[in-house]
Amino acid sequence: MQRIALLAAMGVGIGGVASLCAILFVDTVLWLNGATLVSPRARVSLEDRPWLLGAVTVLVPALGGLLTGLVVRYLVVERRSLGPADTIHAVQSSEPLPSVRSGLGATLAAILSLGSGASVGQYGPMVYLGTLIGGLAVRLDLPVRNLRAIAIGCGVAAAISTAFNAPIAGLVFAHEVILRHYAMQAFAPVTVASACGYVLANVVFERPPLFLVSFDGVAHGYEFALFAIEGLLCAGVAILFMRLLLRGATLAARTPWPAPLKPAFAGLVLGLVALWIPDVLGIGRETLRFATIEEAFRLDELMLILVAKLALTVLCLAYGFVGGVFSPSLLIGILFGALFGGLVGELATALGPFAVSHVVVYAICGMMAVASPVIGAPLTTIIIVFELTRHYDLTIAAMVAVVFSNLVAYRVFGRSLFDEQLARRGFDLSAGRDEALLGSLRVSSVMRTDLPTACRGQTVAVVVRRLIEAQASECMLLDGRGVHLGTVRLGSLIDRPVDALVEDYCYDDTLVFDDRTTLSEAMELLRGFIGEAVAVVSSVDGTLLGAAPESAIIEAYLDRVRQLRREENEAP
Amino acid sequence: MKRPDTAQRPGTARPDRVMPFRRWFLPALMSIATPAFADRLPADGTDVGDDLVVLTWGGAYEASQRAAYFAPFTRATGIEVRTARYDGGIDELRRAREEGAVPWNIVDLEAADARAACREGLLEPFDPAVLVEEDGVPVRDDFDAGSIRDCSVAQLVFSTVIGYDVRVFSGEKPRRVQDFFDLERFPGKRGLRCAPVALLEWALLAYEVPRSQVYDLLSTPRGLDLAFRKLDALRGHIVWWRGGDEPGELLGSGEVVMSSGYNGRFFEAQAAAGAPISLIWDGQLVDHATWAIPRGAKATGRAQAFIAFATRAERMADQAMRISYGPTRDSARRRVGRHVEFGIDMNDHLPTSGERMRRAVIRDSDWYARTETLRQRRFAEWLRAPGVGPCPDARERAR
Repeated sequence: MQRIALLAAMGVGIGGVASLCAILFVDTVLWLNGATLVSPRARVSLEDRPWLLGAVTVLVPALGGLLTGLVVRYLVVERRSLGPADTIHAVQSSEPLPSVRSGLGATLAAILSLGSGASVGQYGPMVYLGTLIGGLAVRLDLPVRNLRAIAIGCGVAAAISTAFNAPIAGLVFAHEVILRHYAMQAFAPVTVASACGYVLANVVFERPPLFLVSFDGVAHGYEFALFAIEGLLCAGVAILFMRLLLRGATLAARTPWPAPLKPAFAGLVLGLVALWIPDVLGIGRETLRFATIEEAFRLDELMLILVAKLALTVLCLAYGFVGGVFSPSLLIGILFGALFGGLVGELATALGPFAVSHVVVYAICGMMAVASPVIGAPLTTIIIVFELTRHYDLTIAAMVAVVFSNLVAYRVFGRSLFDEQLARRGFDLSAGRDEALLGSLRVSSVMRTDLPTACRGQTVAVVVRRLIEAQASECMLLDGRGVHLGTVRLGSLIDRPVDALVEDYCYDDTLVFDDRTTLSEAMELLRGFIGEAVAVVSSVDGTLLGAAPESAIIEAYLDRVRQLRREENEAP
Repeated sequence: MKRPDTAQRPGTARPDRVMPFRRWFLPALMSIATPAFADRLPADGTDVGDDLVVLTWGGAYEASQRAAYFAPFTRATGIEVRTARYDGGIDELRRAREEGAVPWNIVDLEAADARAACREGLLEPFDPAVLVEEDGVPVRDDFDAGSIRDCSVAQLVFSTVIGYDVRVFSGEKPRRVQDFFDLERFPGKRGLRCAPVALLEWALLAYEVPRSQVYDLLSTPRGLDLAFRKLDALRGHIVWWRGGDEPGELLGSGEVVMSSGYNGRFFEAQAAAGAPISLIWDGQLVDHATWAIPRGAKATGRAQAFIAFATRAERMADQAMRISYGPTRDSARRRVGRHVEFGIDMNDHLPTSGERMRRAVIRDSDWYARTETLRQRRFAEWLRAPGVGPCPDARERAR
């Protein structure tokens, strides 16, 4: 009873705070957008002074970039943006979160980036904001098992629930992307936190819904095949987007400029393009809406804005603006969807007795089919459609597109951009969370350094005595510099001349670990191994670091797996 | 984020005026229905015995206010209510403030003017505590969202709507804004006010743009292009009007089959003249009239008592049974019945009845102020297109 109350209170507490912070975050960005003349509503008042408007359009993102760069350089210890990838890493590995100072710095940098109209997303920083609050709650040291993962899950769920006005999506996102299991122990508080975010956003502050569409329904059954095809094409767009993002990051890292100048440069380019195509500024709420209106864009305009938005998002993120990838991929997706819908429509007219539904359904399908593989959350995106539009037909259509898009993207690219970023940092989730965790643990963490060793040149008698004293049946043989040569077994020394040199009866080891060997690699390599312990040597000079007893490796492996299973099946 | 209306802006509170009011306010409310109320006014008020001067709009509107608010207030308190003529805007408030003599106690401002005047410091902060709870529903839930602001409280809703000739559309009736632009299903001339007001909003609504995003989209060149493209569909079918009484006449004479117009004027035409007009409430562009107290006015306590009195559900409903403007609180709307003179059910004629407000666009005065020149310019350009303009001048129309 007490534990249930504690879990519920945790959900309400973290959910409430995370939700308020998320609202504050969004409002600050909106206010900045107004103050810096990024939002159309603010820009329209300068409509009769085009020169001033132009100057503002170019200077605001450039200066915003400079400020972002300075904040990241001096406040964020990691000197990069923090986002969902860091959240996933903290939850899935047992390593600590980046510091609170870094988290606050990254959030400030995200506010500056988004506020000055950078082409980056707002949900990534909000997920990290939720993580930060969950991480702070861990310091309360509540008597809850798996506290850290659950607290972070609560923070993330509330942030997403608030941001989208979609409590079910918040809940599913936390499980699908962050926790990656559905144990009731985590499910309960995360759901409470998500509901809490919804209540605050919707009932207390009466936030308007993020996206409203009116749609009469899918007119023809065969259109579902078109949604599937659209999904396949969207996978291509998503893969291109993710590959460019990764490539861009590598390229930017090689650019030898002072760090704060990089985002300033990206901002300048963004501003110059915005003089021509203002739709690229910010997260593009208005453009998102226009894409659902058939007459708003010509097809070539759609294509142009799509390419510009994609390129500039890559530029902004690679060159150090701080923000997420979800909002830009929503926009890229909806533009692509509108383009696809437009082409299908034209084709339909050309082919005669063949009709299609309103472009809005293709736009929504495209939006979700591009965005979901990027963040690796097919379920979440399907539910977002349902919660935002409350339209069943539209949800089913989006579901078909999303599933095909994810199938392809998963095969070709991987689960998500975040997982790929983590894999590049050495935390590979592609074979599941067990493998990722075991793959991030080094075998050197379980090795022993107090086992007996023998040195080249020692006699059989000396070594036999040492083994008997240590009650061991084998030991590692080293040369004078400590370099590992092989293993000496007690059995092979019996009945040997006592003054013979020990190296004559030494086995060359078939199995040696080094300081980079992971626990999961060790388990694979141990197949068929007979013996007590495996030598762990330095990968640099081959000197012996210690020996990992077979039993210690198996014990550590079983412990981790059991810990994961317990977390996944923990009762509330 | 919704602004916490209760929070007075720093430095604007004037305790020397507000405090005495609070001291006698509650007893005053309890006795407000009894004529003896005037006797209990405190001796420390500097304004005892004075009248209350309301700056308001004259005509039938003021007549409805006199019947619903002023006369009953005088009966209840003994305080005479006089009026001064007002024609909108905030210049008069500015002038009075500069001259240091504010001759009114209360002003009846349009919402946009109230907000502008509040920003300029021309109004006293409004204390929502003066509003009286009705039917056990907290005041904030009872009033429409956004009614209670820093310096004012919205008291009634008036709107620009589309009316159509019921004689022409005897079969399928137009119901939605889209139908105004649909010449195939609903053929015939359209009457429109020759000004870039309401028609741009309606054009975007016809594209299924949600009401909450209309003004954001109209802030972009693309949004304006889109709106004018929708209006292009009506080329050659538009009859422009200028004066508020013209839509009723145009519909009555059969010159147009649908027309934009003010809901009050349509009501007069329907109720008084029996014109065969029905209204499309979908997408109605609504605006609010508010009560506010000018900064520097005398007897603010008494003015607040008047606002408390005039925002009671029964009083507001009484006004709505005299003129077709809707009350801003639920409890008042529930009390609306038949017109005192014509005997028709006013619920059919108020912009606030039933679900009508759910489909309304609240006129964004801030956006209107920002886009004044832009709208006029784009509209004038569009009028030059073939089959559209120009606007007639008022005399030509009258002919």
